[in-house]
Amino acid sequence: MAETHKARRDLMSDAPYGEYGRTATEIVTPEGVVLPFINASFGERLGALIIDLIIVVLAPIVIFIAWVILPGDQMNSDTTASAIFQIAIIALMFFLRSGYFMFFEMGPKAATPGKRLMKLRVIAHDGGRLTPAAVFTRNAMREVELYLPLTLAGAGMAAQNSLGWLALIWALGVLLLPLFNRQHARLGDYFAGTRVVHMPRAKLSYDLADLDSDRRLGLTFTAAQLAYGEMELGVLEQVLRERKVPVMKAVADKIKARIGWQEPKNPADVPRDEDFLRAYYSALRAHLEARMLLGRRRKDKHDPALS
Amino acid sequence: MADPDPASQSPASRTPQSKPALQLKSQKFREAREGDWRALNGALDRAERQGLGGFSIDELLNLPVLYRQAMSSLSMAMAISLDRNMVVYLQSLSARAYVYIYGPHSRLKDVPADFFGKAWPQSVRRLTTELWLAFAALMAGILIGWLLCAGDSSWYDVFVPASQADGRDLSASAQSLRETLGSGPKDTALSPFAVFLMTHNTQVSIMCFALGAIFGLPTLMLLIQNGISLGAMLWLFARKGLGFEFGAWLTIHGTTELFAIIIAGACGFHIGRRLMFPGEATRMASLSQAGRLTGTVMIGVALMLTVAGCLEGIGRQTITDSLVRIAVGAVMLVLWLAYFLMVGRKAKTDG
Repeated sequence: MAETHKARRDLMSDAPYGEYGRTATEIVTPEGVVLPFINASFGERLGALIIDLIIVVLAPIVIFIAWVILPGDQMNSDTTASAIFQIAIIALMFFLRSGYFMFFEMGPKAATPGKRLMKLRVIAHDGGRLTPAAVFTRNAMREVELYLPLTLAGAGMAAQNSLGWLALIWALGVLLLPLFNRQHARLGDYFAGTRVVHMPRAKLSYDLADLDSDRRLGLTFTAAQLAYGEMELGVLEQVLRERKVPVMKAVADKIKARIGWQEPKNPADVPRDEDFLRAYYSALRAHLEARMLLGRRRKDKHDPALS
Repeated sequence: MADPDPASQSPASRTPQSKPALQLKSQKFREAREGDWRALNGALDRAERQGLGGFSIDELLNLPVLYRQAMSSLSMAMAISLDRNMVVYLQSLSARAYVYIYGPHSRLKDVPADFFGKAWPQSVRRLTTELWLAFAALMAGILIGWLLCAGDSSWYDVFVPASQADGRDLSASAQSLRETLGSGPKDTALSPFAVFLMTHNTQVSIMCFALGAIFGLPTLMLLIQNGISLGAMLWLFARKGLGFEFGAWLTIHGTTELFAIIIAGACGFHIGRRLMFPGEATRMASLSQAGRLTGTVMIGVALMLTVAGCLEGIGRQTITDSLVRIAVGAVMLVLWLAYFLMVGRKAKTDG
């Protein structure tokens, strides 16, 4: 049991953005730094696609309703205005079908409104610039992946023939392709050499380790008592940042039991759970970081202790 | 619990009491660089909201410096710090800065010169074989359409359904056919119909390209099919002695439009070929190379089709003389050929 756990756990730096259980695409930037990007999950990609399709489908309907409600008689009587209006409608339909995705992905955010909502964006797989050509290709492929099979499937279903089923299988096969690769890339991504990644925003919080005030409290730990690894340190950090009293009490009790902590005799000297945990966090981090500088790391408590 | 020897105790417990500020190495590291990170974060926030327009020269010059500092901070932090919040922050900051600095936006400014001067004609030249294949497919289609209709005129209704014929059917008289080649019923220069044709053609060419992903076969079929209906119409007009006029009517925009469709077909063939025969590269690398090459070409194809649409919408409505129409078409063809064959060739210094 312990063995399987050990195999699944990673060093903190292996978990991209501190999010355990997600895979990352490592991009080597032109400076030669390896930068991990979290692969967008299939659910996120599907969500973004559905939002975008809703926009693409709803926009003409809204405009049509507006056209019906607005005083249309003058519009229809005036032939020039009517012609211009028709041109605008044709151009808009074309934009929505072929240009919508390309336009937004060529912009500075490299994401359609749906992708922006899901905190996704498109990047070039080789670490270079995302070129307009790549954006064009990945979106032109939507014709084969989405529009054509769905149109054929719709027509085939209406006509009740086997072509419809064939087209539906084709559409499903291509649509589900992101499920069968680690980076959740679709066909257009392969052709364009792009990937869709999830980009969360992180805030820089305060540093939890405060050795000075810990020293004033007089809490010290022996090396044998610092019996955890980087994985547990990360969890402890999370607990301390969330500051939930019952959680902190439970964690403090567990640690005290494990390290054989003896409470001071005088009840006034017994530290609050939070103070105890912060002191323990600082001491553990100091211990692990000092070893880390020498190239010795401890993944988690199942690893052999560092001397 | 054995009493540990002093050397292995944590630094916190053995630092002398007299030292004023007690800090970990990772904390000193953070203190020294935090200001720069926050400056980069602020600059990115501003740039993402309003672009680089409001930046002073100094701020602009400072941006890449801050970016590189954040990058080096990240690799440093991964090696010395276990402060997860800080490492996560640096990862996300570096990633944001990276996609901003290497994002697509700055590209759009220097794109036109590079695109028209080098990338587009060079990419088109790399598709020579596929271009000949697409050209042959279209020509074969025209020939098939003509010959089948000439052999049995009932084929015409199959190739050009009544819904698309728009009065150009078998029963049409020479007079009514001639009218379809005129300046059109509406004299508006850019009629909705012309815009419709333009967007429709672009759609067809995108389809022609994307279908190449299914091993190029649908692209071949699409090209031949388009050729067949063209050949059938050509036969219809020629039968009534209007072949020359129809040719002129077609040529004025057709040299640009058909050229564009041939190029789109060539792009489709190219991705189909690289999918099936990746050569020495891995299939994935081969696909992304092919995709980028053809993507560049296809952006150009969309522009070509816009030019064709303008010629069709404006030129064909205002120019009604057949000879002038042919002349305009021929000039366009020569211009395109000269452009694709000559622009962006490098002087051969490395040979």
